[in-house]
Amino acid sequence: MTASVTPASSSGAGRTGSDSGRWRPGRKAMRRQMLDYVATGVSIAAGSVLLLVLVSILWTLLSRGLAGLSWATVTHRMGPPGSGGGLANAIVGSLLQTGLALLMAAPVGLMCGIYLSEYGRKGNHFASVVRFVADMLMSAPSILIGLFIYQLLVVPFGHFSGFSGAVALAVLALPLIVRTTEDMLCLVPTAMREAGAALGAARWRVILFLCLRSARKGVTTGILLALARMGGETAPLLFTSLGNQTMSTDMTRPMASLPIAIYQYAGASYEDWVQLAWTGALLVTFGVLLINITVRLSSRH
Amino acid sequence: MTPASMSSAELSGKAPAQDVALAVRDLNFHYGSHHALHGISLDFPARCVTAMIGPSGCGKSTLLRVFNKIYALYPGQRATGEVMFDGRNILDDSINLDMLRSRIGMVFQKPTPFPMSIYDNIAFGVRLHEKLGRTEMDERVQDVLTRVALWNEVRDRLNAPATGLSGGQQQRLCIARSIATRPEVLLLDEPTSALDPISTARIEELLDELKEEFTIAIVTHNMQQAARCADRVAFFYLGRLVEVDTADRIFTNPREKQTQDYITGRFG
Repeated sequence: MTASVTPASSSGAGRTGSDSGRWRPGRKAMRRQMLDYVATGVSIAAGSVLLLVLVSILWTLLSRGLAGLSWATVTHRMGPPGSGGGLANAIVGSLLQTGLALLMAAPVGLMCGIYLSEYGRKGNHFASVVRFVADMLMSAPSILIGLFIYQLLVVPFGHFSGFSGAVALAVLALPLIVRTTEDMLCLVPTAMREAGAALGAARWRVILFLCLRSARKGVTTGILLALARMGGETAPLLFTSLGNQTMSTDMTRPMASLPIAIYQYAGASYEDWVQLAWTGALLVTFGVLLINITVRLSSRH
Repeated sequence: MTPASMSSAELSGKAPAQDVALAVRDLNFHYGSHHALHGISLDFPARCVTAMIGPSGCGKSTLLRVFNKIYALYPGQRATGEVMFDGRNILDDSINLDMLRSRIGMVFQKPTPFPMSIYDNIAFGVRLHEKLGRTEMDERVQDVLTRVALWNEVRDRLNAPATGLSGGQQQRLCIARSIATRPEVLLLDEPTSALDPISTARIEELLDELKEEFTIAIVTHNMQQAARCADRVAFFYLGRLVEVDTADRIFTNPREKQTQDYITGRFG
């Protein structure tokens, strides 16, 4: 290396030793920097508020609900105050209704999403109507969906039923599944579809084995999130499955569920019922949390 | 060969009939109301590499996409004229697209590995057209991977997802996938534009070997690539075929001034 390319050994050593004053920011630059600090601080504060809300909910649930969580709670059915009742029938009812709802909503939602993304791209009027309706349905108040199913499936048969509750939940989940499926399929590059077609694969094969396969993570995420959403809904069940104090797995009879149990018990004046409401809330919240964490973990790998 | 010794057929871009894999006559192409190709007539000699060059938007990729009718995926795109392949005009509506595409393979600009294992990427296309036993399929997979010089790199991880390969490996896998269905023609749409120079060189070497067996049509923006790989070069400009000739003559002594200007970098 020659001396001329190393400043320290060149004749200008004195000049590079002391700074020329151009390193110090001017007033405008100082102001910008201050503003940056303030904005960052405010954003962090806003983030903390959200976190605080969630943490305080979880903390309250844990501290109040954990006390009532015992083997008896999950094995005994609901009973009169003071009789040592549990939530077994509500847990079973919730699982049955959300499970059945998922079985109804997932295939229809999946196929509808495929239709919208693969056959209903822009310019297709029917598809844009379907897309619009799905968006409307997504923001429809869930109690309206409950009332609608009440008119459709409860009034004509003359009694509440677990089946009508499942249908109401399915209607709630449907638009979620439709739109995530469509969005995920739209992310599959056109080149993938063309590459499949260029090998001589029929369109249905390209959609099922290439597009859906490469979008499978996003699609399952959508379905799981819809499941989490259904698990915590109360309003659509109020007019449909009603709730039930006894253990029932008969879909044609009124059926208990955790959200309804919380709704019934939380305002009661019996201490053990209130305790059960907290425990039920804990179960629902952690069930939903568990699904969300599963989604996160599975989409990472 | 001196210009005087050329037959009139060669001058008009037509090669002797028995050795022509694809014969294009008076082809017009429309994207909706946009007229993208104007009266193209061009022969693709069998077991030769024909390169298509020209500035962006000149219609070279459009022409390539006519040969396997991939444009038919999109409503509003239509081709008129004649493209003769194995005695039939492929623009005929009676042509079975799946059969056509098993005989005319295509490789795209960006590597498009399917979301499955390396093995299944190749087996996917083969299974569409043939029923092979396990050992036959294994042989086919090994055969095509060897020919694209990928076998030694992936032999121990055939069941690993293809998306884990490097860009150059992915593109060679896509070529392997295309030749696994035993096509007669291979269409390559700027196959190396997303690859580094080393991967590009490997794919160019590969073309030299593949043309022993396949008729190759390649679209490229890289003039050196056309000069290195192609036997014949066709120059397109604004949807028209300006000139087609041997690679040597296009790059040393083109007939048209537009060609001359383009290859010397004066426009485009």
